[in-house]
Amino acid sequence: MGEVIVITSGKGGVGKTTTTANIGAGLSKFDKKVVVIDTDLGLRNLDVVMGLENLIVYNLVDVIEGTCRLKQALIRDKRYENLYLLPSAQTKDKTAISPGQMKKLTSELKEEFDYILLDCPAGIEQGFQNAIAGADRAIIVTTPEVSAIRDADRIIGLLESNQLRKIDLIINRIRMDMVKRGDMMSVDDVTEILAVPLIGALPDDEQVVIGTNQGEPVVGLDSKAGTAYMNICKRIMGIDVPFMELDSSTGLLSKLTHLFKKD
Amino acid sequence: MLRKSSVSIAKNRLRALVISDRVSCTPDAYDNICRELYEALSKYMELTEEDFQVDINRTQVVITFAGEET
Repeated sequence: MGEVIVITSGKGGVGKTTTTANIGAGLSKFDKKVVVIDTDLGLRNLDVVMGLENLIVYNLVDVIEGTCRLKQALIRDKRYENLYLLPSAQTKDKTAISPGQMKKLTSELKEEFDYILLDCPAGIEQGFQNAIAGADRAIIVTTPEVSAIRDADRIIGLLESNQLRKIDLIINRIRMDMVKRGDMMSVDDVTEILAVPLIGALPDDEQVVIGTNQGEPVVGLDSKAGTAYMNICKRIMGIDVPFMELDSSTGLLSKLTHLFKKD
Repeated sequence: MLRKSSVSIAKNRLRALVISDRVSCTPDAYDNICRELYEALSKYMELTEEDFQVDINRTQVVITFAGEET
């Protein structure tokens, strides 16, 4: 029986879609059968971030409306053996599906997949209600900014009042140089306010931008974000992994690289 | 001359915002809530303002005070 995880944030542009793509790809590397679902009707993005935009035939609304069978709409990612995408519809809006229909779909998928990841749209309207309907747990993505953290707090409150209580936090785009100067909130500052368990802290890594440009996940690549995403996947699977050092000048990775360069 | 770090400003603004979101009121209403709770409770209990604290989280209003010293 699989687990349904909704990736949500409230605020837009904090990295929900990139996070979904990378966690999906990462989990599939551990031989887990994974499906990622873009639930943002009308604003399809996950397919582009994953580089699968040319393979779309059917979409989420087609499946719900019965235009096609579920299997026909799932796109297999050739680069990852066990990773599938269910794309969103670009021409429908959020009223095309209901929370009840989403719940039915996710419970069907749970039979076949180990992880079902739902990329939630921004906001707290019907798209959000649809995305959380069948979820067993939630991952909140935020950045160290006042507006993003405020929205994250509201989302956590809404999830709790919808009886979704297994909630973890990812803090995205941390710039350690700014944290050191006292110009960006630290991981501790953010977790203190939101008071939910931290499952990942990602540095602002240009590799992520490059990956998105190319439509390729960075998870598992030899970069800070690549390692951080991999660690998040392990924690999702219940493996206890220590949090990596984000500071490049004192990080274990850079120390090691430094060591090897001398030789 | 040291510039005040922008993080402390951000944290103070965020605390006020989060509390007002959690109880759906204006940011300065938090101060009024604290004051009125203090006034109400001090009618019945021995309290000092320094030891009296109100925390609002997503599902609870938590009132903390220093009890009688033993």
